[in-house]
Amino acid sequence: MKFDLVIAGVGGQGNILASQVVAKCAMDAGYNVVNTETKGAAQRGGSVLSHVRIADGEIFSPLVPAGQADVLLGFEPLEALRYIGLLGKKGTFIINTAPVPTILANMKVDEYPSTEQIVAIIKEKGLDGHFLNATRAAKDLGNVLLTNVVMLGAFTAVSSVLQPDVILKKLLTMVDEKFHADDSRAFAVGRGLIGKEG
Amino acid sequence: MRKEFMLGNEAIARGAAEAGVRVVAGYPGTPATEIVDLCGGYPGVYAEWSANEKHAFEVATAASLTNQRSMAVMKHNGTNAAADFLMHVNFTGIRAGMVLITADDPGGLSSQCEEDTRILVHNYAHLPMFDPSSVQEAYDMTKAAFELSEKTELVFALRPVMRINHAGGMVEYGDVAPQSRPAEFVIDRKRFVMSAVVEKESGGELRPKMRHRWLNAKQAELKALMEDSPFNRVEKAPGEVGFIGCGIGYAFLKEAERIHGAKLPILKLSTLPLPEGKVLDFVRGLKKVVVFEEVEPVVEKLIKELCFEHKIVLEVLGRGGYLPSEGELSTNLVLTAVEAALAGKDYPAPAQGQYVSARTRTQCPGCSHRGLLVALKEVVRKNGGVVTGDIGCHDAGTFEPMNLQATIYCMGSSIPMAYGIKKAGFDKPVYALIGDSTFFHNGLTGLASAIYNGADITVVIAYNSTTAMTGFQPHPGSANNLNQPVTPIEPGAVAAAMGAKVFRCNPYNVEETARVIAEATAETGVKVVVAEALCYLKFGREGKISYTPRQVAVDVAVCNGCGLCVRTFGCPSITLSEGKAVIEPSSCNGCGVCVSVCKRGAIK
Ligand code: SF4
Ligand code: SF4
Ligand code: SF4
Repeated sequence: MKFDLVIAGVGGQGNILASQVVAKCAMDAGYNVVNTETKGAAQRGGSVLSHVRIADGEIFSPLVPAGQADVLLGFEPLEALRYIGLLGKKGTFIINTAPVPTILANMKVDEYPSTEQIVAIIKEKGLDGHFLNATRAAKDLGNVLLTNVVMLGAFTAVSSVLQPDVILKKLLTMVDEKFHADDSRAFAVGRGLIGKEG
Repeated sequence: MRKEFMLGNEAIARGAAEAGVRVVAGYPGTPATEIVDLCGGYPGVYAEWSANEKHAFEVATAASLTNQRSMAVMKHNGTNAAADFLMHVNFTGIRAGMVLITADDPGGLSSQCEEDTRILVHNYAHLPMFDPSSVQEAYDMTKAAFELSEKTELVFALRPVMRINHAGGMVEYGDVAPQSRPAEFVIDRKRFVMSAVVEKESGGELRPKMRHRWLNAKQAELKALMEDSPFNRVEKAPGEVGFIGCGIGYAFLKEAERIHGAKLPILKLSTLPLPEGKVLDFVRGLKKVVVFEEVEPVVEKLIKELCFEHKIVLEVLGRGGYLPSEGELSTNLVLTAVEAALAGKDYPAPAQGQYVSARTRTQCPGCSHRGLLVALKEVVRKNGGVVTGDIGCHDAGTFEPMNLQATIYCMGSSIPMAYGIKKAGFDKPVYALIGDSTFFHNGLTGLASAIYNGADITVVIAYNSTTAMTGFQPHPGSANNLNQPVTPIEPGAVAAAMGAKVFRCNPYNVEETARVIAEATAETGVKVVVAEALCYLKFGREGKISYTPRQVAVDVAVCNGCGLCVRTFGCPSITLSEGKAVIEPSSCNGCGVCVSVCKRGAIK
């Protein structure tokens, strides 16, 4: 068994928490786990990529090689596009379509491609996956910070490597009790989004 | 033996604690930073942030001479800063086991430059090194390094790369056994006084030559140790092309082998000096080897030398020309090289990637540096001055949209470079912009040099009371050290004592800051402007900020959409939408700096 997950997002979106939840569940299940994050300095807003590698045997590189990821979770469309090359031909992506503009694009010295453009480029690659608006779903639930939980819920609908209830339980052990009800709802909403997008 | 998931830096700290380290000193630098804090968490370990890496190295060495195991922690730039001391401690050797952590950042992912400290520590200082290929090995090697260091009386270095420091993996580990050794300092001037002294016993030879001879003689002992080291091993497979993986290069090679789908003849090399016997055994019968190492062709050249000495005809490929000579390795790069080498082809020229809009670093919304940068920019816009920069969060002032500092080199360079420009005859004002941690790291001597040489510059010190960029470590200007509260050394007081004319301002007040900088500029000599305001991100969490927060909004009736607040300022909370500036209330921290930027008075 080998399972490679990459989560691409922007600092502050909570993808490190999401990757830790998956990593811990895999460890509890007795798998070997290696992970790493690539991120910038202390300030927020940079590109953040988490790699989680799960196997029943030895794992050598902490980085998922290009074209080897089983699942790519894009918490942000531009970041998903940046790292789409990591996804394997038989892999699955789940991409949140809500953009977080870059500072340079805000200043009009660089261009942030439209969501349609990003979706078109990714579709052209002939990969399998789902586009959904996790940010909107989180906002509808009352808190944009739930985006990562919505994405995590969606993840459990495309991968059977770990049980959904195990992932949710692990997540709840890692957040304050006052968020438990919201997180559980966001998780269920995320799971439900798969197959209903379009 | 227990097994747990650990980050590379946790594994290194754990290994050191289990080996009985007592004194750990470092200066923050990605990717090594966390090791110092983590070591300090073990009972009985004294850990400190030294003012710079050279001093960390000196503190740790002195502890070793006092019979306590010690460790110095730094990133590659820091090892450069400590190179002078390195080139002495190598000749004296040490007493209790001592490890130098010199973390490299291939690709310069979080650094000003890309380099390979194996050259400095091994090729130049002739000290032994371990290059871990996994988190487990980082732990194992740290422990082994303490033992071997004590045995050989030499500093042992561990050279992790970012992909080890910041990677997590399962680690088998042991117990921290409390070590109690007497702290005794035995005077041995023949070893620990490095000086051009005539050695009677050596027939009147000078000590530097004798210590050099001692270090050279040690190399045979080291080579024998590495021959038996479990960190080097051969993996046999048929074929005439062999592959050598050094440190993380081995991890990428094994990953590439799995994707390639057939076993390859592999030699794992993780030590310097090389296990020469193992290397010779491996290459005999091969026609070609490819060496994968981060980042210079260090092992590749050593193997070429070895083959030359043993009259072995072998094609040795690697970073010296076959593979890309710059940047990080990856599984895909290694796989491409493996397949090309097996097919007898050149490494294919990499295709230029497609640009995807970059996410650049900038200061946080509410950061005091933005006010300082805007004020300084205002001043130089009027007088045509030049700003030399330094390392820290403010260095993002060199990017769009600020485009302020004209140079960034290494820690503390801003001050000597500023007055160098003046001494060359440049007739407009020159400013050095430096942070407080950097000022104490290597700015003090530059300031002394400027004052002593009658320079005419304005030094601006961004005094935010922390080493922010690496994750908020305290420094001599902070109100605490790693262990307890202290009285901060105030940079302005130091500068005044040196003889500089000192000015002060709060950078959140842009008008005041611009006025103070202009006033300082009008004076002659070395002027120091201390722009004092706490780092928002660190101290804001603790409820301490250096401004009165205010609700800031754009008056759409006044805003004409000129975009100045976006194009020249760059607070991430401000964007332009439908011809008007918009301030995002969820990220704005109400610092009010932008109010001074809008000349129309639309931001209120
Ligand atoms: S971490 Fe502190 S100093 Fe750095 S940009 Fe943020 S507020 Fe400014
Ligand atoms: S707020 Fe002021 S600076 Fe910004 S766009 Fe409007 S008028 Fe221009
Ligand atoms: S929008 Fe203005 S007040 Fe708000 S954080 Fe940015 S500069 Fe400060």
